[in-house]
Amino acid sequence: MFLPETEVLITRSRPKPRVPGALLAVPAIVIVAFVVVGGSAMVTAQSLGLMPLVGRPELSTAAYTAHGGDLLVGGGLSLAIAGTSTLLACLIGFMAALIMMQGRWCGKLVAAMSSLSIPLPHIVGAAATGLLLADSGLLARVFGTAERWPPLVGGPWWAAVIFEYAWKESAFVGLVLAGTLATRSVDYEETAALLGAGRLGRLRHVLLPLSLPALMTSGTIAFIYSFGSYEVAWLLGRPYPEPLPVMALRLYNSVTLTSRPEAAAVAVVTAAVSLCAVLMALAFLRKIPLWR
Amino acid sequence: MAVTLPPGLPREALRKDAARNGLTRSRAAGRILRTATAAALAVWFVLPLVPLGLWVFADRWSYPAPLPQHWGLENVDSALSRGAATGFAGSLALGLAVSALATPLGVLAARSLAFHPSRWSALFSALLFAPLALPAFVTVFGLNVLLVRLQVPSSAGVVLVLTAYALPYTTYVMRLAFGAHDLGFEEEACTLGATRGQVFLRVQLPLIAPALARAAFLAFLVGWSDYLVTVLIGGGSLVTVPLLVASAAAGTGNDGIVAVLSLIALAPPLALLLFAGMTGRRRPGARP
Repeated sequence: MFLPETEVLITRSRPKPRVPGALLAVPAIVIVAFVVVGGSAMVTAQSLGLMPLVGRPELSTAAYTAHGGDLLVGGGLSLAIAGTSTLLACLIGFMAALIMMQGRWCGKLVAAMSSLSIPLPHIVGAAATGLLLADSGLLARVFGTAERWPPLVGGPWWAAVIFEYAWKESAFVGLVLAGTLATRSVDYEETAALLGAGRLGRLRHVLLPLSLPALMTSGTIAFIYSFGSYEVAWLLGRPYPEPLPVMALRLYNSVTLTSRPEAAAVAVVTAAVSLCAVLMALAFLRKIPLWR
Repeated sequence: MAVTLPPGLPREALRKDAARNGLTRSRAAGRILRTATAAALAVWFVLPLVPLGLWVFADRWSYPAPLPQHWGLENVDSALSRGAATGFAGSLALGLAVSALATPLGVLAARSLAFHPSRWSALFSALLFAPLALPAFVTVFGLNVLLVRLQVPSSAGVVLVLTAYALPYTTYVMRLAFGAHDLGFEEEACTLGATRGQVFLRVQLPLIAPALARAAFLAFLVGWSDYLVTVLIGGGSLVTVPLLVASAAAGTGNDGIVAVLSLIALAPPLALLLFAGMTGRRRPGARP
């Protein structure tokens, strides 16, 4: 039996969408595409000499070879700084997540303290690190080792820069991991414990595999951020050798006519390395069974 | 998890026993170790903020002294005279503008990815998350030329670029929320005769409200904490707190001013977090 009311109900129950669903993403896509695709295309064109400030466009790789040696040294330095700080951030963040996950007052304390540093801009973190670690900083004052204080800020080991990245990113990694572990680890851990797994066994066979995907993702984000970030290394680093972003910004702001393409070349190299890091992380994640 | 109980052993006894003997709970040595680790981690996270807290109130703190010699609020005056109020207003406007753009666009993109899979979906997600893989200064070098040629005002350019860098976060948060979202509620409301507006206000919005707040907060942070994009595209026309911190920290003898400006940078997001934590806990039934 077919009642007219039913027909009315059916037509009203599914209002025709005014725009096809897939098109909902278009405004966001347009903005991101303009920035990402437009930005990278223009910076590549600049680096290849296709958009000179004066003169005729001419395809050349001169901008890449002009500072070839510095580019290699800077790339190595950037990789070392980003790699070390990411490794530290992952270790400390994983420990913090384990403590947060256990709940109780110490977990809550660590969670609260780590969320303090999340909303802090990196430039503020760098300034604070300077006030803490410089040779006139708080630690040097408290320990009273005026002359023997190691050159952490602006020193040869980039200690203050690595400290700042590790500090900010460890809070990020810790909170991401705690979020992941909180939803699925308890059952597995109790099962493993009932089956006789010790603390180290549970850590190795339950907690570490469970947190590996989130650890890889947050670690990659932290790595790429510290690899391509300018202000911390600029404020707490030393003039030479320069990490890639600092070198790029110096060339970009320099007055010589050839420096813009050279700055663009440094930027393209930075982007290429970042992209490689992402692809490697994705390839690794695909091998993890937990990754959907 | 199924546990076969030995006959005669009640379930409660097992649970108590498990807790006491420590299936996953630690023994005394482990507990001490854990407390020590927790204390060390708390110190690690809070240590860099300690000199800021001291310098804010230090009118005079010459070198070897471990604590300020004169306490007071002179630094606040100096920071205000260096344009702290203008910087605060600029930062707030930038954060709010980025949040106001990136949050609704992220909602739309996430809804499209969650409920309307098409052959474009993979490309769309790759593009939406691309900003995470591309350092901001790289795109800004290229865009500066483009924005000047298109005669986009510099402040609008800053907002545009930062919105693109906030979109991965808002899209991700909303995509997770829509993953746990039941379209049945909306259909039910339609069946009961609700109009599109009513469905949006009474069903969709309450269901996604917590995730919406998180996404908006993250997008706000992208604008609030940016330094490089504001400097390179804004070219000084837009003054924000990070810019003031950078110029003060690059000079010498500004430690007190740096501390006050840093505190200004930390206070609003922290207040938002606390506010969200408090209001979120007050009505637990409202969450999906």
